[in-house]
Amino acid sequence: MNRSGLRVRSLSVRSTTGRTIVHNFGLSVPRGAIVALLGPSGAGKTTALLAALGTLPAGLRLESGSIEWDGQPRPARSAAWRRSHVGYVAQDARGSLHPAWPVARIVGELGGDVSAALHVVGLDPQRVRQLRPHQLSGGQAQRVALARAIAADPDLLVLDEPTSALDPGTLELVADLVRERARSGRMATLLVTHDEALAGRLADAVVRVGEIPVAPEPGPQNRPRPDSAVAALTVTNLRLGHPISPPLLNDAQLELQPGEFVAVRGVSGSGKSTLLRALAGLHLPWAGTAWTAGEVLPWPVRERADPGRIALVAQDPAASLNPARRAGDALLRPLGTLRGLDRHAARAEARELLAAVGLRAEEVLERRPGQLSGGQRQRVSLARALAGRPQILLADEVTASLDAVTAERILDLLGDLREGRHGTGTRPAILAVTHSPAVLDRADRVLHLADGTLIRTEKGAV
Amino acid sequence: MSPTARRSGLLVRWAPAGAAAAVLVLALCGGWLTDVDPAQTLTRPWSPPSGEHPLGADALGRDVLARTLHGGRELALVAGAAALIATSCGAVIGLWAGWSRSRVGSAVAAGADLLLALPLLLVALVIAVAVPVPWPVIVATVLGGAPLTLRVVADATRNARHTGYVEAALSRGEPTLTVLLREVVPAHRGLLSADLGIRAVLALQLATALAVLGHGPAPPSSDWAVMLRENLTGMPLNPAAVLAPAFALTVLALVIAFAARQAQR
Repeated sequence: MNRSGLRVRSLSVRSTTGRTIVHNFGLSVPRGAIVALLGPSGAGKTTALLAALGTLPAGLRLESGSIEWDGQPRPARSAAWRRSHVGYVAQDARGSLHPAWPVARIVGELGGDVSAALHVVGLDPQRVRQLRPHQLSGGQAQRVALARAIAADPDLLVLDEPTSALDPGTLELVADLVRERARSGRMATLLVTHDEALAGRLADAVVRVGEIPVAPEPGPQNRPRPDSAVAALTVTNLRLGHPISPPLLNDAQLELQPGEFVAVRGVSGSGKSTLLRALAGLHLPWAGTAWTAGEVLPWPVRERADPGRIALVAQDPAASLNPARRAGDALLRPLGTLRGLDRHAARAEARELLAAVGLRAEEVLERRPGQLSGGQRQRVSLARALAGRPQILLADEVTASLDAVTAERILDLLGDLREGRHGTGTRPAILAVTHSPAVLDRADRVLHLADGTLIRTEKGAV
Repeated sequence: MSPTARRSGLLVRWAPAGAAAAVLVLALCGGWLTDVDPAQTLTRPWSPPSGEHPLGADALGRDVLARTLHGGRELALVAGAAALIATSCGAVIGLWAGWSRSRVGSAVAAGADLLLALPLLLVALVIAVAVPVPWPVIVATVLGGAPLTLRVVADATRNARHTGYVEAALSRGEPTLTVLLREVVPAHRGLLSADLGIRAVLALQLATALAVLGHGPAPPSSDWAVMLRENLTGMPLNPAAVLAPAFALTVLALVIAFAARQAQR
């Protein structure tokens, strides 16, 4: 029997409007090997992958190319082939889970031992079996998606940006898991990622898609000490949780100085995103008081005098922008309502904001989210948050769906912002939930969320 | 892509929409294409098609072609208005019920579900006895269609509440109404226009059923459904008097259903 695994030759994909998305792409993933598909966001990694698996979305067409599995052409009607051979973990993990099914049914969808699979990905089967996707955190959803993919013991495991919502501990676990399965010689693994470090550590071979721009020099490391005058945000006695479950935060304290960059870390499901949503006024805490610049800050966003003061960049890039509206509208609206700019001034400012997050305005302004890549959407939603010139920026895994170069650029931008080098006259404090070492490295302080409290930790410690 | 290919691509994309628009225009303005009076007796009843009367004559010797061309206007307008009212009612209440997490919201949704349990045609007949044409069609379409719209819209709104774009709008302090109109409604515009189309087909069916059962527009109206009822007995003498309005009704319903499908994309 031929064991050559997946082989893709001279694959080209075009949109029905004639734009070339993937040109002359080739790839070989033999059984027993781990191959990484690496490239910046928007380069067409996911498209190339979907074309190889035979699940191109409407609006994209396979122009040419041959796709083989174990030396045989992959069947043109590929659904049965995928069911019997492929385990796929999608980029938007939560979106790939059936919203009405409990975890046990989702993981067992394609057969296999549910409890064992959940155990392998580091989830407690007893605790999560009966939960439904909306009750899982981003990281847990990703682990459930992974458990489903490996439960059926696939011949080809495909991981699309598996690390975007995982904490380092889980990432290590996934890496071990993939390596161990690959070593058995039966399973071929294809890893799609923008994370050079992960690809280098895990993969036997790396295939690059698109041009990789030269990384910019790291910015100056000398940062002014945060002002001691008036804190940008002070929170005391914060109790936070969801109905009918133990509190996520119990009596937590938090203080942010203007221009300070504070990172929050913690395992999946510990309540990091809920903390940010509470600060943004979207989730009512059980108890606690907040002050901004010396004044009491009401919790519900509607009761806040200046809603533009705090801006949130949410985690889920798939639903961060309105599918019916052009990306430009997402920026023009806050520029109009929060800053009072007229249409013309807002357009000029929107171009500047897009340039600041590393996007070309003409490529983005008139497009709808469906025509943008995950990384581009993430950057638009960051630009939207910056449009109101917030004093406090809450960032939930902002760099998770970005490639190393873009992530670096975004972090530089955040650095410039908090040092007041963007001509905005303000120095926003940044509170970033993250798993990424690059973000932790830039932070002035790192807080660890565990057992209901926020504890200051060392940057390196896990 | 070559220019020819692109042109044919555009043709494939727009030709069905163009044909659908043409059918709608014909239903609304077909009367302008003929000088023949649709209400005037011109020849012997049930005359078969001839050079002078291409589709023959009906029960009272009136020209079937002229009556068919005139007969779509009122029907299409009533169906359109009924659909618009039903979808608007359903959408407005659905947005509110899906957004507010109050008990009143769930109670309204439950009440709407109860409405669905009523046999629609029976309700329409009762209304037809009570109120004049065209109100029975409109009221029955709202009673039978709006609860379905309400359910779908409430569900979509509930899900939209936690999307990034709605949360971004909320966190910059936009009022609820602005969030609903600027973010939630546009995001579900495909759903809403598809819903509108389905309600229009329902209204068309109700209008036809009521007219065939004798509760349609009064004579000498040339409403297609009225034509069906009047000419059924003369089927052996002039089949065209029944087939022409039946064909027109079918094509109109198909075109609306097709347009709804396209809108959903």
